Parts: sequence; C-alpha cells; structure tokens
Amino acid sequence: MNVLTAQFFNGLAIGSIYVLLATGFNLLLLVARIIHFAFPVAVVFSMYISWILITLTGNVLAGIAGGIVSAVLINMLTAPMFQHIMNKRESVDINTTMVLSMGLGMIITDILSHTFNQGFPIAFPDTLTGNDKGALISSGLISISRGQILTLAVGVVFVVILFQLLYKSRIGRAFRAIAEDPNEAKLVGIPLLKTGLKSYALTGLLGGVTAVLMSVLLGSASAGLGDQLGHKVLAVSIIAGLGNLTGGLIVGLLLGILEALIQGYFAGSWSNAISFAVMLIVILAKPRGIFGLKLRFQEI
Amino acid sequence: MTLTLFYYLAITAIYILMSWSVYLPYRIGQLHFMTVANMAISAYFSALMTIHFSWPFPLVLLAGTLLGALTGFAVSTAVGDAPCFAVVIVGFTFIYLTKTVIENVEIFGGPLGIFNIPKIINSSSGNRILLIIIVYFFVFLTGFFINRFDRSKLGRAASTIFVDRNIAVSFGVNPKKIGMFLQTWSSAIGGMSGVLYAFIMRGISPNHFTFNFIGICMTILFVGGYSTMWGTLLAAPILWGFPLILPESLQAWNIVIYGILLVIILLLKPEGIITRVMVQRVENIRLFSGKKVTPKSPSNKKAAQ
Repeated sequence: MNVLTAQFFNGLAIGSIYVLLATGFNLLLLVARIIHFAFPVAVVFSMYISWILITLTGNVLAGIAGGIVSAVLINMLTAPMFQHIMNKRESVDINTTMVLSMGLGMIITDILSHTFNQGFPIAFPDTLTGNDKGALISSGLISISRGQILTLAVGVVFVVILFQLLYKSRIGRAFRAIAEDPNEAKLVGIPLLKTGLKSYALTGLLGGVTAVLMSVLLGSASAGLGDQLGHKVLAVSIIAGLGNLTGGLIVGLLLGILEALIQGYFAGSWSNAISFAVMLIVILAKPRGIFGLKLRFQEI
Repeated sequence: MTLTLFYYLAITAIYILMSWSVYLPYRIGQLHFMTVANMAISAYFSALMTIHFSWPFPLVLLAGTLLGALTGFAVSTAVGDAPCFAVVIVGFTFIYLTKTVIENVEIFGGPLGIFNIPKIINSSSGNRILLIIIVYFFVFLTGFFINRFDRSKLGRAASTIFVDRNIAVSFGVNPKKIGMFLQTWSSAIGGMSGVLYAFIMRGISPNHFTFNFIGICMTILFVGGYSTMWGTLLAAPILWGFPLILPESLQAWNIVIYGILLVIILLLKPEGIITRVMVQRVENIRLFSGKKVTPKSPSNKKAAQ
C-alpha cells in the first residue's frame, strides 16, 4: 500500500509533465496547424542548455533563465519554416509539417548525442534538484521529494493559467477561433500569422518551464529522452483525441500514474515497454482517440 | 568483389526496398514505420531458424516475408484507414516494443545481438556475388510490382485517397481495404528486407533497427520524391553512399546531414527531386519518339506532384 501511495504521487508529478507537453503540442496543432513532433526534443535541448549554464556559471537562476529562453528561441526560429510550408497548403498536406518536425528532431537529437558531455547523459547538480536536502515528506516507504511537489504545483498552476488564458482572454478567444475555423477567424479580423506566432511563443515558454521542471524532477537527461517523450506526447494526444486539450490533461495524468505504478513493480526497461504496450492497445482500439478529435478529418 | 563494394551495393538495395516499403502506404498519406519493426522481427527470426534449426535460405526468406505480411495484416485491420499520425505512433511503438524484447530476452542475444549467421554457400566471394544477385533480383521484382500498382486502377484510387478521402469514398473507393493492402505489402517488404539484411551482415543487433534507420529511409523517400517510386532509386545510392566518401570526422554526423537535407528539400521542393509530372513527361517522350506531347492533365494538383 505504501509503494502504491508513493508511486501515485510520483505518477502525478510525471503526469503533469506530460500534460504540459501535450498542451503545448495540441496548442501548436490547433492554432499554428502543425504536428510538432519535435516539440519535446526541443524541450530536452533546453534542459541541456540549462545544464551548460549551471555548469559554467554555477548559478541555478542563470540555468533556469537560459533553459526558458532557449525553448522560446527554438520555437520562434523554427516558426518561419513551418509557416513557409503552411503557406503552400494547397499543394502540401499537414503531414509534411510532421515530417519537417521529425527532420528537426533528428538534427537536434544527433547534435545532443555528439557534442554535449561527449554524448554521455547529463546530471543536474543538487543545487537545482534539491536532492541533497532529502525528501520533503517521508513516512515509512512513502517518500515525496521537493522536485515532485514543485513539479506538481507548478504544473497545476501553469495548466490553470493556460486554460484561463485560452477561455477568458482575448488572445485565447483568437486561438480558439482559429482552431474552430481559420477562414472564418480571418473574416472577423483575427490576424492568422500574428496569432500563430503568439502560439509559438506561448508554447516555447511552456516548453521552457517544462524543461526546468523535468531537470528538477528527473535530475538527469540523455539525447534519446526527447524521442521517447515525443512518442509519448504524440500517443497521449492521439489517445485523448488530437487537439483535445481537456482530453490531453486527463490522459497525460493517467499515463504518468500508470507509468509510475508499473515502475513500482517491474524492472526499468520493461516498465516503459508495458506503458507503450498499453498505449498501443488503446490506439489500435480507438485510432481517433477516446475524447474525439478537435480537427476535421480532412485537415489531418 | 571487394568487401566495401559488396556492402555498398547490398545496403543500398536494402535502403531501396525499405524506402519503397515506406513509399507504398504513403500513397494514401500514411507513414507506416512499422515496416522497420517487421524488418527486425524477420531478421531475428531468420537468424534463429538458420542457426538453431538449420533452415535453408529460401525457406527462411519465404517464412520471414510471410511473418512480416501477417503481422502487418493483423495491425492493418485496426489502423488500415487511420489518420497518418496514428499510423506513425503505432509504428514507433512497435519498434520500441520489438527493441525492448530483443534487448531483454536471452535467446535474442541481448544488446549485442546474434552473430555468425551462416553463409548461403561456403565460398566467401561466391556468397557475396550470390547475395548481390538475390538482393537485386528482389529489388527488380518489388520495383516491377510497385510500377504495375502505380499504373493500375488501385494505384489511381490510392492517389485519390491521398488528395481527398471524401471524393475517393464518393467514387466507391474503400480507403480501409486499400490501406490494409498497402500496409500488408509494406510489412512483407520489411520482413523480406530483414531476412536479406541478416544474411548480408551475418550478424544483427538491436542497434541496427533504430529511429535513425527510419530517418534515413524518410530522407531517401522525401528527397528523391514521394509521389513516384523512381525518386527512391535515385536518392538511395547517393544519400547512403555520400557519407562514405566524407572525411572520417564528418561521417559520424551523417544523421545531422540527412536531417538538414530533409529540412532543405521540404522547404524548397516539398514534392522531392523526381515528381510524377516529370516521370510522365519522360514516358511521353519515350512513347511518342521525341514528338512534343502535353502531359495528360492529372486529376488534381497534389497527385501530379
């Protein structure tokens, strides 16, 4: 029972990471109309930037700021590439954005595996993770770390802010209008390009915060982490129904809890495989998601 | 035949086959990466059957191809007409699961893999020449059937699905049946390539069947041109071959180079180097002995590319 409770809390923390990543992914899909498969890869790249800055300066704040700035920058720098393809929508389908994103992912992952730390996994210092201070709550086998609490708290706060922004603000209405029908949104005077770029900046910020939270929670990163996260985020989004933000929230949390529970009872390599197998079964049974697609079938 | 030339020719053929196996389902807009998992499964199957049960090469080739086809068919019953992203994630998940099983089950040799797969014939040079003949025979055979498919009613139906699924359905085309057919065919090619690859390398490990492998196949397909089978024939020997002539320090960066090439081609010429219109023009010139003939107007803009 103790293991179950401890893993449940751990699962909530991991789940909130998936929720943030899936929300960013879905936001880009809904507003910018791209399948940004490499979004989690860019997040892992930002983790590496954080690590470099902390190693060089010894300043945790510099690392956090660097990670967030690099995520926003990557998103903004790649935006023109995706926009260039989207401008040719008459002759190019949305899958091309996914292939472009995979190409960008290949480049980033390979650079990470060749350059930083000679290709070896990186470990974040205790000054960032807080591991040296021990568990925040400890009772028997249950041990909840500062990283888990911080990830969960920041994750919840960010999701609430994001949903408030989407459903209560002017820019949120513009995002949702484009998601609903880009042509009608244009007719009522919403600038598609400008709003699209804002979605890149917002998801970049979201990615940067996620990178910092992952650094705190996991305490380490490797070049292959981005690909693995990319697959999981795509799977979460598909199971939830592509573009379905609420569905992404529920499925992301459920996946985190499922993974943590499996990790409590199975060896490392098998635990990942089991969660992938569960996701595969759900996708094979419901290829269009449980909660329904938020995009018309022709668009995807 | 030198060992370098043998590997260059043989692996080029494998990349041609594997890129075609991605090309086929992409005719209806599905990126079917499961073919790499099929390749791994059949490669390991053939290695085990040959080493432990002394199965002859023709039998393992047939069985490996059928194994690929059967797995592909079983999965296609669920995702035959699924959207592209669902097919992509099913492929990735299968690769991940296959890799985990291979790495963790003792009989598959763990992360090191399986070595000493027997030669088809005893002579080393004879074995190489025979393998090259066999591999290119299957490249020719697969290419012949894909070419026939592209020109058939079924091929035109696939093009219509790629452009507009609703129009295709209103014309009486069944996207699920065509999707199932193409995914099964793709998986069969993946299975066949796996067996051939195992006998070419004579040793296989989980590191051979990675996401980088998909990246190379995707680059070959999109740089060559995804709307015809001929683009792959042009791109595979060049793209797979050129890192070999780079300085050793740059060879390790081949995936970055492939990624950059893929991004550049998608930005500048998304339909790839060889387009369907280009192929049609060449065919018209050949058919009408140099008379200037306007190519038939394709049914739509995307199909023409």
